[in-house]
Amino acid sequence: MQPGALKDERDVREAYAAHSGELYGFALRSLGDSGLAEEAVQETFLRAWRAGERFDPGIGSLRTWLFAILRNVVIDLGRARAVRPRVAEGGIEPSVEPLEEALIAWQVEEAMRRIGEDHRRVLIETHYRGRPYAEVAEELGVPEGTVKSRVYYGLKALRVVLEEMGYED
Amino acid sequence: MKTESCRDRRPSLGAYALGDLSEQERAGLEAHLEGCPGCRAEVDSLLGVARLLPYADPDHFGPAPQPSPELGARIAATIGAERQVVRRQRRRRRRFALGFAGVATATAAVLAIVLLSGRGGDVWGGPEQHVRFSALPSGVEIDAVLEPHSYGTEIHVYVKGMRSGTLCRVFLRGAGGASVSAGTFRYRWGDDSQAVLSSALDLSRTEAIGIHAGDRTFIAPVDRDSAAFTDNETEEDPT
Repeated sequence: MQPGALKDERDVREAYAAHSGELYGFALRSLGDSGLAEEAVQETFLRAWRAGERFDPGIGSLRTWLFAILRNVVIDLGRARAVRPRVAEGGIEPSVEPLEEALIAWQVEEAMRRIGEDHRRVLIETHYRGRPYAEVAEELGVPEGTVKSRVYYGLKALRVVLEEMGYED
Repeated sequence: MKTESCRDRRPSLGAYALGDLSEQERAGLEAHLEGCPGCRAEVDSLLGVARLLPYADPDHFGPAPQPSPELGARIAATIGAERQVVRRQRRRRRRFALGFAGVATATAAVLAIVLLSGRGGDVWGGPEQHVRFSALPSGVEIDAVLEPHSYGTEIHVYVKGMRSGTLCRVFLRGAGGASVSAGTFRYRWGDDSQAVLSSALDLSRTEAIGIHAGDRTFIAPVDRDSAAFTDNETEEDPT
């Protein structure tokens, strides 16, 4: 048996334990609905199990392969949803994001979760909330230069995590 | 060449990549970047990340969402069910192959033959028992596959060559001779000749499987280690 191939239930269980969280996170970010996201993850593992012998670890990791399958599943589910009658939830139509943008969004959000709290905090306050560095520095009780430094090292840490997740420029 | 001014300026590169420097700071830094390939490369690397930030929503920076705890079990159950279907298809193909190969010798056999190894062994990797009935009238074939479950035993019966419409009652015989019903089916010639039944008797305690077909009875031992026996009525033609 090739290492990593999903040939039996035990392989699937191990792959599920290792990757289901990330797969679900991306599915949820793409589809915007927890039920659909679980459906997508389930379909992904089913397809992976059916095609387990075709998985070639020489081409890419199991994680990459599962994400490639999930991407197709999300496209299929998105198409299926597009032909269903829309039911507005709370009066707001769910926005449809292009899949590539959803993938980038999920990767950045996941990377943000993985970097240090200090770095994440200054990036949120300065970049996403648009607050002046001096104001953030005062609130945190640190010199402004420290905030600037944390922004720099925060971006570097994000880059490292994104590269670990397979992102390339 | 890396100078002290590079070290001093590096912390500003993040703010520069995000467009957060004042006009004056930006102009000073750009003058430095003109002559410093190291800092220029660092800025390019940071700009690659900075370009991605607008895609993200800070409301999603909290704990990663998790699927419901039951999802893994649901997937395992779905795959298990699909695997069962695949195994049954393989079994049917194998059964028909065995049927063609064994037709010449089947009528001469006196005792029922357990095709596979004894308790716990089978060629498909599961603990099921594959049983072939013998001492059958010419043209009739019966075999069965028994699978253990927590509720008892699942029984797949494959029949060929009986009179169409024959009512078949299936039972398992446990240690001590007590019989436990596994249900009934009606054999239809030309239909898919497989019936799926179940019995509350555990496979581990099953010594034989029997079928009443019309007014005849056929019995085959389930474990080759147990005493094999046949029913006197098997000499009669059930068709």
